[in-house]
Amino acid sequence: MKKSLWSGHVLPFTLLLGLLAAATLVGDYLLHRLNLVWVGRYMGIPGSLLIIASLYYSARKRKWVTTGDPKSLLKMHEFGTWLGSLMVLIHAGIHFNAILPWLATVAMGVNVVSGMVGKMLLSQSRKHVQGERDRFQLRGMSKTEIEKTLFWDAVALGAMTQWRKVHIPIFIVFAVLALGHIFSIFLFWGWV
Amino acid sequence: MSRTLKFILALNLLVLAVLTFAYPHLMVGPGKLIPGHKQLETDCFACHTSFIGVASPKCVSCHKPADIGRLTTKGKPVLKPLTSTPFHQELVSQDCVACHSDHAGVKRYHLKGYFDHALLKKETSNQCQSCHKSPGDALHKQITGNCAQCHTQQKWTPATFDHAKYFVLDRDHTATCATCHVSNDYQRYTCYGCHEHTPANIRRKHVEEGIRKFDNCVECHRSANEDDIKGGKEGGGDKREHE
Repeated sequence: MKKSLWSGHVLPFTLLLGLLAAATLVGDYLLHRLNLVWVGRYMGIPGSLLIIASLYYSARKRKWVTTGDPKSLLKMHEFGTWLGSLMVLIHAGIHFNAILPWLATVAMGVNVVSGMVGKMLLSQSRKHVQGERDRFQLRGMSKTEIEKTLFWDAVALGAMTQWRKVHIPIFIVFAVLALGHIFSIFLFWGWV
Repeated sequence: MSRTLKFILALNLLVLAVLTFAYPHLMVGPGKLIPGHKQLETDCFACHTSFIGVASPKCVSCHKPADIGRLTTKGKPVLKPLTSTPFHQELVSQDCVACHSDHAGVKRYHLKGYFDHALLKKETSNQCQSCHKSPGDALHKQITGNCAQCHTQQKWTPATFDHAKYFVLDRDHTATCATCHVSNDYQRYTCYGCHEHTPANIRRKHVEEGIRKFDNCVECHRSANEDDIKGGKEGGGDKREHE
């Protein structure tokens, strides 16, 4: 049975995003309730490391590295960034002090949403355009006629692929701000 | 990524970098400083040393340990000291951040009202009364020093008091304090607070044994065990044991 747009794409996206928000609130509440706020203080470290590790997929995709199954790495990228973001969100929720780390958190949030929206809308659009193309071919339409008919769909698909153009710049903003935050911690905090 | 986008991105990050250097207390500072250090808000390195954190020598350059609790950093007498006795002079080492934090965001991680007594010199840490006032109740009024007999230096309560040294509270004597110590007066006690011991039957039992002086029960009875009765000093001149 063919999945509807709602059950196949919008619902999983909403659930995954809602789960991230709910897990952040629950994590923050539990840490405060159990008097473990200090744990949240250090949660930014494993969260950042998870996000950095999940970037291996991005390197594999651009062929900067050649080992690893791209499909599995994509799954790891999605899961790693989701969990890493959750940890960073809990870490950020523990204290609201400086502007720079909060801008980094906002950039990270936009980055997560853009990644999820891009992934889900892009796959849906591709499936839709390919299905239409197959249908018209079976009807015996010429290639030019098909391209003409599917012009706006193709434009829409092109627009959907723009998410990458948002995803990468926002990631750079996030990375620079996060590095600024991490550097300031090392610069001012007594680790020893 | 287009060149325009790269340019906008670089410009934004440059603006943020400039703002960070211009307003470090807002951009990277973990919350407001304490009112006394307000003038240092934009001068992070007045207290911080790069990659080391807050080093005590920087604190001590303004806050002389010998003056803390007595004189301000400007040399004027402290009018309203936070503690009744200056004690910073008695610390084993100068580790200011072990107790103090100036930024509001960091202060919340410090346990309020908690002082690690291990930071005090040993000879000072045993002189509780030099910093703490003894509670004014009847029990504490009669005690001077040796607080560690009942209390620890971590918490005032729970406190342990070895009642068995005076009288063993066995299963027949699990009464409330007030049953024996009337009006919270722990200096005195009575054994007639329960129906088991009445003046009449106690008198009868002791007279039968030839004991005339029996007003201070715990002098002979340190427990309800009838085989563990010590002879009293004033047992009517007849120091004897019950059989």
